[in-house]
Amino acid sequence: MVSLEIDGVSCRYESIEVLDSLSFSAKEGEFIGVLGPNGSGKTTLLRTISRTLKPHRGVVLLDSRDIYQMAHRDVAKQVAVVPQDSVVAFDFTVLDVVLMGRNPHLNRFQFESSDDLLIAKESMELTETWHLADRPIAEVSGGERQRIVIARALAQKPKVLLLDEPTLHLDINSQIEVLDLLKRLCKESKLVIAVFHDFNLAARYCDKIILLHNKKIVSLGEPEKVLTKENISHAFRVEAFVKHHPITGSLYVVPLLRSMSRKMRKEDFRIHIICGGGSGTSLMTKLVREGWNVTAGVLNILDTDHEVAQTLGIPTATEAPFSPITKEAYEENLRLIQQSGAVIVAELLIGHGNLKNLKAVQAALEKSIPTIVINNIPIESRDFTNGEAERLFKQLLAKRAIIVKTEEEGIRVLELLRNQRFS
Amino acid sequence: MITRQAFRKLLSRDDDLKACEAEYLRRYRRWKCIIVILIVLLGLVTIVSLSMGFAEIPISHIVRILVNEVPILGNLPSGSGLSESERIIITQIRLPRIFAGILVGVSLAASGAVFQGIFRNPMADPYVLGVSSGAALGAALAIVLKVGFTFFGIDTIPIMAFIGAVAATLTVYNIARVGSRTPVVTLLLSGIAVSIFLSAIVSMLQVVAGWELHELVFWLMGGFSYAKWKDVWAILPLVCIGITLVYLFARDLNVMALGEEEAQHLGVDIEKSKKILIVLGSLLTASAVSISGLIGFVGLIVPHLTRILVGPDHRILLPSSLLTGAIFLVSCDALARVVFAPSELPVGIITALSGGPFFIYLLRKKKGSYSL
Repeated sequence: MVSLEIDGVSCRYESIEVLDSLSFSAKEGEFIGVLGPNGSGKTTLLRTISRTLKPHRGVVLLDSRDIYQMAHRDVAKQVAVVPQDSVVAFDFTVLDVVLMGRNPHLNRFQFESSDDLLIAKESMELTETWHLADRPIAEVSGGERQRIVIARALAQKPKVLLLDEPTLHLDINSQIEVLDLLKRLCKESKLVIAVFHDFNLAARYCDKIILLHNKKIVSLGEPEKVLTKENISHAFRVEAFVKHHPITGSLYVVPLLRSMSRKMRKEDFRIHIICGGGSGTSLMTKLVREGWNVTAGVLNILDTDHEVAQTLGIPTATEAPFSPITKEAYEENLRLIQQSGAVIVAELLIGHGNLKNLKAVQAALEKSIPTIVINNIPIESRDFTNGEAERLFKQLLAKRAIIVKTEEEGIRVLELLRNQRFS
Repeated sequence: MITRQAFRKLLSRDDDLKACEAEYLRRYRRWKCIIVILIVLLGLVTIVSLSMGFAEIPISHIVRILVNEVPILGNLPSGSGLSESERIIITQIRLPRIFAGILVGVSLAASGAVFQGIFRNPMADPYVLGVSSGAALGAALAIVLKVGFTFFGIDTIPIMAFIGAVAATLTVYNIARVGSRTPVVTLLLSGIAVSIFLSAIVSMLQVVAGWELHELVFWLMGGFSYAKWKDVWAILPLVCIGITLVYLFARDLNVMALGEEEAQHLGVDIEKSKKILIVLGSLLTASAVSISGLIGFVGLIVPHLTRILVGPDHRILLPSSLLTGAIFLVSCDALARVVFAPSELPVGIITALSGGPFFIYLLRKKKGSYSL
């Protein structure tokens, strides 16, 4: 049974405070991820727990004993550390390095016994490094070295395992392998605390996440509780969307864009996008990224474009799945159009169900709202209404719609329209 | 009830254990072999070296004289027919000189290995830390100022050299200390700075030395010409205690190769171990310098060469490099005596002349592995 308690810990380098009154507790069987932007104190936290950097306030208790009162050797029997980068001077072999993990268990007069060898071998088999045993440590790759260092930590037979970005140098396959191993170790009653950079790996493997920002814990708890849009935007200053992955069932986080300063945003100018069936996906993403205020419609629920709009937080006029546009949705769409400074029409396929979208464009033109039509793929090939759409489309083109070939061109026109409006 | 699968697993586990054990026993056996070979080599070098010099004494006589010196065997008839002058040349002139060479070689090589281990840096040696310069200044002061006192029958020069070495080490250590820690980089830098400063004072002393200039210069060049039994007896206990204590820290030195922070994670009290090892290294260096003056290169190349031959594990590196140091220095001293006989070269010239090119050769051959 092992328990770790961090109570009111503050740390400084020289006179610069890097951790400010952190408190949390952890016990065996837990896999705790530490997340936070660069310089938020993640590594410092690990250094404090590993009895390397004495906090100037607060205590770190291991099984209710202050670790800074314990001998290094006694701490090393229970706490192992896997640092971010490990450089070994001189030509030690891989097995030598892993056997060094037995150091805290040997006294000055002892040599390694066969038991120590066996422990080293088992640790190396767990991280799949046994085949490297006789190689000089300087000659193995970064990923192999990382796994060797993990093996060394395991050879310490610790109760607490601290890792600073354990997956840093690893390819995707080894990342999963190593994290699966750590997860398994947790179940064998170890406590694992690891610094992560990757939200998704953290969310998938950790029982608890500590989110650090600006020397303090922003949030602590289960991934669902910690990895919210608000917390991520607060700590990392990026907008992100957070969902449950359909396959793994765990949370996944996709950072979208850096939160923009007000000045950069173009929220004063609203754009309405007529799209559907995936035709508006890239346009919506680009416009939102550039800070425009965007609406869209009419989109059927379950349509790709609808899903993207939801994710990006774009207000839409919606219709039930696979249903033709009803009068209500059409009117909602018109309302959004009327509030816009410009309308842009993506290269959507047109059937009887969404013909009303073209009618809405017509309405926009009649109200002399500037309308941009992207027209690269000929309308004939997008028309599934036996010519009715084609006829309507041609009418639009005749009615002073601005015709462009690409999305980029369309966005440039939007810039011009916005400048015109405000000059 | 053990399932077949579990049983097979148990069996294979057992095989692994045996394989590991065998491998490890082989390793320890290899270590023992290395030590035995080096001891035999040192014995041979010693005897050959005893036969070299102005007076030609055949090896058979030497062996008989030596056997005669051993108390119990002393009364055997083998002692008859040896000339008294040969006996005196061997026991009172050559033997103390060779023993001094052995002790100095052992001390310099051991302290070099220790410093290289602590600083994870094959460039480190007693010179870099300012230890040698401190000892040199102490001795130079003793020579120039003719401070005339003796301490338990030991001359002034060794005592002052020792005081200088320890004072220099303490100075360097205190300059380098940041709070309660002594980072390696600041330690090396302050070592170099102090070393340059002290060397400058020694140079200044040479300018003002006057009649003592010759003695001072000769001492600074390093050698064993004046080595006597009392010098050997004076440093023998220090060297023995020094290397024994250092050996107890052999595994700490291994772990230090991972870096200070990681060594700490593996249970080494790094600040304490580092402090103890630096003091021991200085003690060994001071012992050497106090009887032989400044002899360069031994502390640098011997551990280096030995590491290439026996590997980086300090449990074998330490004993084999101190034996190699003794062999190297005794051989160099023998050469120093015969190359321009009857006049003698300072041994420091031989170590530098033979060590320099050899070191460059090693460096070129293995330059890939010294990226720091």
